[in-house]
Amino acid sequence: MKKLILNNVTYNSRLIIGSGKYTDFSMTKKALEASGAEMITVALKRTNIGQSKNDDNLLDHIDSSKYKILPNTAGCYSAKDAIRVALLAKELLTDNLIKLEVLADKDTLLPNEEETLAAAKELVKQGFAIMVYTTDNIDLAKELEEAGCIAVMPLGSPIGTGQGIKNFSNIKKIIENAKVPIIVDAGIGTASDAAIAMELGCDGVLLNSAIAMAQNPIKMAEAMKLAVEAGRKAFEAKRMKMSDIAISSSNKESVLS
Amino acid sequence: MNIKLNGKEILIKDNINIDNLLKLKKINKKNIVIEINKVIITKDLWSRKKLNENDEIEIITAVGGG
Repeated sequence: MKKLILNNVTYNSRLIIGSGKYTDFSMTKKALEASGAEMITVALKRTNIGQSKNDDNLLDHIDSSKYKILPNTAGCYSAKDAIRVALLAKELLTDNLIKLEVLADKDTLLPNEEETLAAAKELVKQGFAIMVYTTDNIDLAKELEEAGCIAVMPLGSPIGTGQGIKNFSNIKKIIENAKVPIIVDAGIGTASDAAIAMELGCDGVLLNSAIAMAQNPIKMAEAMKLAVEAGRKAFEAKRMKMSDIAISSSNKESVLS
Repeated sequence: MNIKLNGKEILIKDNINIDNLLKLKKINKKNIVIEINKVIITKDLWSRKKLNENDEIEIITAVGGG
């Protein structure tokens, strides 16, 4: 299978998982291992002040020699805030990779297109390698690529909904137009959703809740691993053409009577 | 003097640096990044950078997110 390359690093897995919503860090770690993912997203937040010095930190549970940590700009509603968080992430993780996410509305959690593009342009200038969360707006996806983003990540459906891929034709068009990897980010609910994204020709899938909110996250992580692999193989195999009429599987001459 | 630490106003003694503040507040130096008045202060400056009255200090780390 063809490999996914992001910021000059080659990945064996086309699945990227989030680290949110797990019951504890050991569960995050187990799910990460079971998923086969080699990249995991994290968010940036204020530390808790006034707790013990030995407080557990997520970063202590992710082996950064094995997994690429992808910090996001979650919680930002303007380009200015997203740029600030990106700079903090770069200082924290000493890496220029960032998942840019600028939201428009705290209820819908849909991307703010204008601010996302503005932030992308500025962060490219500052040397960031940007994987950008965006709507399924075909023109915007192209603009983000042209701005210099290394991957464009349209949503399948809104964050945390698990509604799956609701916008086949747009995602397909975005893929057709793209020269950078297209990764479906947000909306995946179960394994078949991830497989469908990959069959459409996506270069990868980014998901969080689908695993973390499953009743058995570890099993779902394994399911997602298989689904992404199966979907990719099916895409590379190029599926049969659909037919409106039934066509027998056996050769007419060889059938008895 | 008064400073704002992660959005909360606190009273601390004068003439302390970032390292002193972290020790005082029992904050692990690993896995954090610090901003004073929206400017990132790199780790190498933590032992030298003195805090001033009304400084707004943000101590940031990574948490779970998608």
